[in-house]
Amino acid sequence: MAAASPAIAAPSFRKLLFQRPAVVVALVVFVLIVAACFLLPTLGVTEIGGMSVRKRLTPPGAEYWLGADAFGRDLLGRLLVAGQTSLGIGLGVAVISSAVGIVIGLAAGFFRRLDTPLSRLIDAMMAFPDILLALSLVAIFGGTMVNVILALSVVYAPRIARIVRASTLVIRELPYVEAARALGTRTPRIMVTHVLRNIMSPILVQATFIFAYAMLAEAGLSFLGVGVDPRIPTWGIMVNEGRRYIDTAFFLILFPGAAIALSVLSLQIVGDGLRDALDPRLAKET
Amino acid sequence: MSRYLLRRLIGMVVVIFLVLTIAFVLVRLAPGDPASLLLGPDATPDEVVALRRRLGLDQPILVQYATFVGNALQGNLGESLFFNQPVTQVLASRAEPTAFLALFSLLVALVIATPIGIWAAYRRGSVLDQGSITTAMLAASVPSFLTGLIFQRYLATDLGWFPASGYGGAGAGFGTRMWHLVLPSITLGITNSALILRFTRASMLDILGEDYVRTARAKGMTERRVVLRHALKNAGIPIITVIGLTFALLVSGAVVTERVFNLPGMGNLVVNAVLRRDYPVIQGTLIVVAGLYVLVNLLTDLLYLVVDKRVKY
Amino acid sequence: MTFRAVCLAGSAVLAFAAAAPVAAQGTVEVAIVGDPDTFDPMMSTKDVVSIVTQHFMETLYTFDDNWAVVPLLAADMPTISEDGLTYTIPLRKGVSFQDGSAMDSADVLASLQRWEKVASRGQGIADKIDSIKAGGPNEITITLNEPYSPLLSLLAFSNSAAVIYPEEIIADTIDKPIGTGPYKLQAYEPDQYTQLVRFDGYTQPGEAAGKRQQIPDEIRFVPVPDTSTRVEGLLSGQFDYADSLSTEAYDRIAKSEVAEPVLLEPFGWPIFAVNHKKGLMTDLNIRRAVQAALPFDDMLFAAFGDEKFFQTDGAFYPEGWTWRNDAGTELYNINDQEKAAAYLKEAGYDGTPLRILTSRQYEFHYQMAEVARMALEMAGFTVQMDVVDWATLAQNRDNPDLWDMYITHSPFLPEPALTSSFFATAREGWNNPKKNEILDRFTRETDPEKRKAIYAELQKVAYEDVGLIKVGNFNALQGKAKNLSGVRPSPWPAFWNASTAE
Repeated sequence: MAAASPAIAAPSFRKLLFQRPAVVVALVVFVLIVAACFLLPTLGVTEIGGMSVRKRLTPPGAEYWLGADAFGRDLLGRLLVAGQTSLGIGLGVAVISSAVGIVIGLAAGFFRRLDTPLSRLIDAMMAFPDILLALSLVAIFGGTMVNVILALSVVYAPRIARIVRASTLVIRELPYVEAARALGTRTPRIMVTHVLRNIMSPILVQATFIFAYAMLAEAGLSFLGVGVDPRIPTWGIMVNEGRRYIDTAFFLILFPGAAIALSVLSLQIVGDGLRDALDPRLAKET
Repeated sequence: MSRYLLRRLIGMVVVIFLVLTIAFVLVRLAPGDPASLLLGPDATPDEVVALRRRLGLDQPILVQYATFVGNALQGNLGESLFFNQPVTQVLASRAEPTAFLALFSLLVALVIATPIGIWAAYRRGSVLDQGSITTAMLAASVPSFLTGLIFQRYLATDLGWFPASGYGGAGAGFGTRMWHLVLPSITLGITNSALILRFTRASMLDILGEDYVRTARAKGMTERRVVLRHALKNAGIPIITVIGLTFALLVSGAVVTERVFNLPGMGNLVVNAVLRRDYPVIQGTLIVVAGLYVLVNLLTDLLYLVVDKRVKY
Repeated sequence: MTFRAVCLAGSAVLAFAAAAPVAAQGTVEVAIVGDPDTFDPMMSTKDVVSIVTQHFMETLYTFDDNWAVVPLLAADMPTISEDGLTYTIPLRKGVSFQDGSAMDSADVLASLQRWEKVASRGQGIADKIDSIKAGGPNEITITLNEPYSPLLSLLAFSNSAAVIYPEEIIADTIDKPIGTGPYKLQAYEPDQYTQLVRFDGYTQPGEAAGKRQQIPDEIRFVPVPDTSTRVEGLLSGQFDYADSLSTEAYDRIAKSEVAEPVLLEPFGWPIFAVNHKKGLMTDLNIRRAVQAALPFDDMLFAAFGDEKFFQTDGAFYPEGWTWRNDAGTELYNINDQEKAAAYLKEAGYDGTPLRILTSRQYEFHYQMAEVARMALEMAGFTVQMDVVDWATLAQNRDNPDLWDMYITHSPFLPEPALTSSFFATAREGWNNPKKNEILDRFTRETDPEKRKAIYAELQKVAYEDVGLIKVGNFNALQGKAKNLSGVRPSPWPAFWNASTAE
């Protein structure tokens, strides 16, 4: 029971998170990517949005550090601005889908009467293939950043809900939760103190995934031709635009592709580290 | 147990009905008119109106819905606007590549992920753990269409090891068709392996932290036996969950992969249908996929019952 | 006629006249951009429908290598009455349909009547047709109520085509097309292939149309929507021919050992269609501001990347075409944003967004729009880019409330009157009285030399009134297997003479 107390878990959190060098490296990489995307453009590091058509597809060099795209726009500047959108989409989807998923999942797992209808709702939502659902939603409501975030949140929230429900089903039967209930602790309190705390790690792990998967899904939607308005660049759109220049200007897919891969990868490694660190049972071991 | 089954079966019907309704509403809200698409760029507005009438697109939406549900209950999913064939027939002809692609790529993913996941958890924190996981995750972090494109370009076009695209063409034999699925399955399998790997590892870590496993260790059981006997057995729930989840990922992964390799599967069908506003096909695919999905969910839940005695219904 | 419509860069074409008979052989696989939505060419204006259906459906007339109208199912060119109102068309005897029945004037009559009713191009001239009558089993007579010189081109065109069906299968929709072509539709697997096999009862057309040798046993059209996938399929030897490739792939295909590029030079013209019905562009000064602001050379460069693939050319027809003239082209590629700003001031422009409707179905449309936007903004326009998918575009452009300009393109057509934008009834609604008068004269005139002169007037007024905006000429890239010969480069390549040398 003591393991549930954050006072004990916290020191081991730091310890565990940083015990593994890969986690530290990943964290640093991710923070650097975020910082670059959000800080560098405001510092005026590169000229953004300028178009010199005659310089299209200039390879990386002194003039354009990462080269120029098919419109003769600076790739670095575009990459950074696109990163804001891509990361924003990932974060937005992770947060919204987790919040919605937790509420639905807890309710379904804890209140037997709600379980059936909510489970049916979860089942119904999950029965849609995610790319297709997102594709339809974006096609219907238009390819704006907000719509892409909402569409992907609708797609991923049931996944969180399902995991939360499954875990809740197990945890609520655990002796100490039953004991708390027997002692008269009110249900919301039980849910928050015991259940939520116990299922936080799978949610966090899953949310990290969703962050990463949302970024990949956005790239997939762009590939299928239904993504964010191309006037607002994302890394997915940039990779997809770069595809046709794979022979003449490989750097056009290399850099945004690497940006996606690095972000997704570092997120997952960090998530992994978080999971190890936050799990109280593992914390006890070390 | 049988009452539970009955309840679940009723639930299944409810879910499919829900899906049906949602799909119908969603699809009808979409902009883009099938009539003007069918007629091409030079069609006059009058022609478009006439064709809309002929296709029943001018009926009140509720009438369209009622007609649709009535027909669906009789196994009639309507006629594709573009193919002039019953939707069921179109779907049936697309099931094979998608089914085998999903199966093969799940196998690829499991073969890559399960052993590495267990091993990584067992050797948590080691160079092997971090190295293998990082590699698997890196491969899965590249957008799958890019992985597919690169495979296609180098392994198929340049080296000629695999077919570049398609499904063998008219009258291709079973072997030829499966041969065309090799590269797509590897692409999709790699993309999905990271999720399974992480889940396997995570649940193994969970189990290894459980009291009874530590007790077993304390009793002097060898690590290997601890892993194999207790841990693997109890890791069942999360692994079943992840296979259930992966089904959805595989289906939507198939959408992108089939597009890259131009496989005539349901994924490709659905993208074309969405782009062409082929309402009956979109709805038909949703219903079929939803049905399959609900079935998989039922099986997963039943497996929970078998694997984990702590779950009560 | 001396002009050359299409020439092929860097590769030899097997001429039709090739003397030695080529032995029948195997299957030709062709990668196309998507499934034809219909096998009834009357119902569609899409190129992909024309490409496939021309193999099994035939028209009374067709175009030869030089885009001259020549008889196909007709036995000869029509006899035209002095007043230009009556066309008497003799029909070939002994032509049989793929269902075994013989073609006679009743079939032609029923088909042309259907064409008038259901085909958009047929509907376009229905009000000019007084009657269509059969004059005996092998003769058809079309009577017009005013002279209409593009009639034969319309009858020859494979797009919204006046194809001939057996009378018995004529209906509002025709799902199983039966024609007289050298191939017949054998099987259609949506998204997989359309399979055509040789029609053994085929009878060859006259000399002028050229022999349709029926060399491949089978022609298979495979829909491959993704341009990269078409390139990979061609380079890996999967396809004998691939349509509509990205010009960026040119060098890679040129380096290949199994395939080579086919450049259609020049192929066609990207167009900014102008909304004359509603909104900003109904103001001539606004239209002139757009015309003055646009940097056509940059737009073409951004879209096609290399001078090899485009020409900055304002004339509506390229060098070598009979319709070419320079009238009005001093207004092309002015690329002067200050001048545009002056026009805007004159118009009292209040910052209402100029809505450009485009999609990424064709990447060059989007790329040209993006460069245009930059220039228009420099001139002082507020620009709203509506980038939608093709389905939405196809719907929205029919609603004049939703756009000011949309982007499209067209191959260079053998007859200018086939370009619908010139007509006030088209969705652009360009209803300028002076233009209407010129167009009317143009379609009534039958003397080719006089028509040329009137066409120059039409082009001039199109520039002065900014009826439509031509961006330039572009070349289209197709690709073929090195061992494939006998395919005439065309926006609508045909494969009845294709042979694969082993």
